[in-house]
Amino acid sequence: MMELEVGGMRSRAWKRLLVCCTGLCIGSVAVSPLAAQVRSTIVGPGATQYPIAVSALRTAAAESGRAEEFADLLIRDLRLSGMFRVVPRETYIERPQSSGVEASAIGFENWAVLGAQALVKGTLLESGGGIVVEVRLFDVAQRRQLSGRRYRGGAADLPRIADRFADEILAQITGERGPFDSKIAFLSTRAGRFKDVYVMRANGTDISRLTESHTLNLAPSWGPEGDMLTLTSYRDGNPDLYSVTYPGGDWKKLSSAPGLNLGGRWSPDGSSIVTTLEFDGNAEIGILDPDGSTRYRVTDHWAIDVSPTWSPDGRFIAFCSNRAGSPQIYVMKRDGRGVRRVTRVGSYNTSPSWSPKGQRIAYTSRVHGEFQVFVINVDGSGLRQVTTDGNNEDPVWSPDGRYLLYSSTQRGGAHLYLSDLSGINRVQLTQGKGSDTSPSWSSWLD
Amino acid sequence: MVMRWVGGCGSIALLLVLMVGCGASDPSALDGVPGSLDEQELSGRGSLADQQAGVLGSPGSQGPLADIHFGYDAVDLGQGARDILQRNYQWLEDHPDKRVEIEGHCDDRGTIEYNLALGARRAAAAKNYLVALGVSSMRITTISYGEELPLCREVSDVCRRRNRRGHFVVFGE
Repeated sequence: MMELEVGGMRSRAWKRLLVCCTGLCIGSVAVSPLAAQVRSTIVGPGATQYPIAVSALRTAAAESGRAEEFADLLIRDLRLSGMFRVVPRETYIERPQSSGVEASAIGFENWAVLGAQALVKGTLLESGGGIVVEVRLFDVAQRRQLSGRRYRGGAADLPRIADRFADEILAQITGERGPFDSKIAFLSTRAGRFKDVYVMRANGTDISRLTESHTLNLAPSWGPEGDMLTLTSYRDGNPDLYSVTYPGGDWKKLSSAPGLNLGGRWSPDGSSIVTTLEFDGNAEIGILDPDGSTRYRVTDHWAIDVSPTWSPDGRFIAFCSNRAGSPQIYVMKRDGRGVRRVTRVGSYNTSPSWSPKGQRIAYTSRVHGEFQVFVINVDGSGLRQVTTDGNNEDPVWSPDGRYLLYSSTQRGGAHLYLSDLSGINRVQLTQGKGSDTSPSWSSWLD
Repeated sequence: MVMRWVGGCGSIALLLVLMVGCGASDPSALDGVPGSLDEQELSGRGSLADQQAGVLGSPGSQGPLADIHFGYDAVDLGQGARDILQRNYQWLEDHPDKRVEIEGHCDDRGTIEYNLALGARRAAAAKNYLVALGVSSMRITTISYGEELPLCREVSDVCRRRNRRGHFVVFGE
């Protein structure tokens, strides 16, 4: 798939127009019931939702339905972000087939009167099995284009094109790129007794099964390019670390040290893998080369040291240790020096995940016998509880650092939930049979 | 779905389990099955293979060595565990050709990765005690399954205690 900027006056003057609702605002909306096609939204605080109109694309081949489908896909992502209120299509005055797509040819007053502050218009060209989507974002009040893109690809690329442009709209309106052009891997027992790896797009669509192994699998984690996952599996009898290619599903053993080879997380520069190994029954953190050979042991302590995660600059590792008598979150340099305790509240704090923005760590804490997701600043300040209902584990961050994804039993069986940092606004992303656990969120796919 | 067996005697052990489960009394009815039903053959399979066969926790799969149990979030060996380890040690002394794999398990109340580390500790604690009693460490291997292979799933203290176990899988030479 190819992508180009298209002309018109582009400007990033609208940074921070929208008060970012990631965790600082108090919403009052309950979780919406789940619909089959359109997932509920993460509804941001009503006062700060940005009104946007999304027109179906202008096309010579209206009968294929793709021109409207693109708008529907884009609207779904914008709603899921929680930051937009989409002006309903039935109120639109301009018709896609009979109106312009460039700033000079658009009657902006037709959109202003509907309350739209931003507008999406574009064209769709279909030929053979390929499509060309040209789509633009406009500021209605200023009557000018903020961004334009041309995407060229196969017909099956339409959802990804919508995801990419949704990310671009978020970048223009809020100053920060959206998370939608990325993938989520997770473990699920939806097809049987054993956990296998499944992959879906960030908005919860297009779920596909990656492994079919009838054994214990644990801790899938994306490689830096989104084309493979590390995975711990007992397929040879011992918990060994493997790489599994995506989408091919080909296994290769990376590390089979005696005992645990638990969870492999790639450093941001792709040069090493941090994992949990075992020495005389004691879990310790180690660094592996990309081919799986052990480069060095990071921790050397009588306590359990487990669940390492990288800082976004790759200089530090957060992990869980019970060296103070109970499981707590610690941070250390990647060579093992400078170990510093982060969590001071609660008697069981595990499963850290470091925000891509660098300043916060999400983790799981036991509260009254159940697990809840918390977020804390790396320096130990700013403790915030994100979940309150059911059992909530394995939090991971979206690549833009706006959202958390975790496995929750708040509605019965374990499923994946997407939440902003306030935790009040959340969406159930997976449903159906079985338990969905251990998510991993890839980086952007470009 | 691909079936993967742990250990070399999986399929024979499965046949034996089916025989025990169905109350069959004529071993010669099954080709290739040894004439005597030795309980140790059954226990040579391990909890993962039991789970794959759908018989995890079934009566015939316990083997000659009893499970030990641990306190919540704990790895230390209480008096009851030490008594069982003493008896297990005696059995190993009486059967010098056998070796054992000790599995460490947890209940469901921890997080997945931390429980794998805890299970590793539990298995190692049991091994160290047996070695201290006099078993050669070369006869003992350990493995952790964390909370992944529970014997029961009820939300009760009784069930959870059952799951917080060290399990001994005997292998012949």
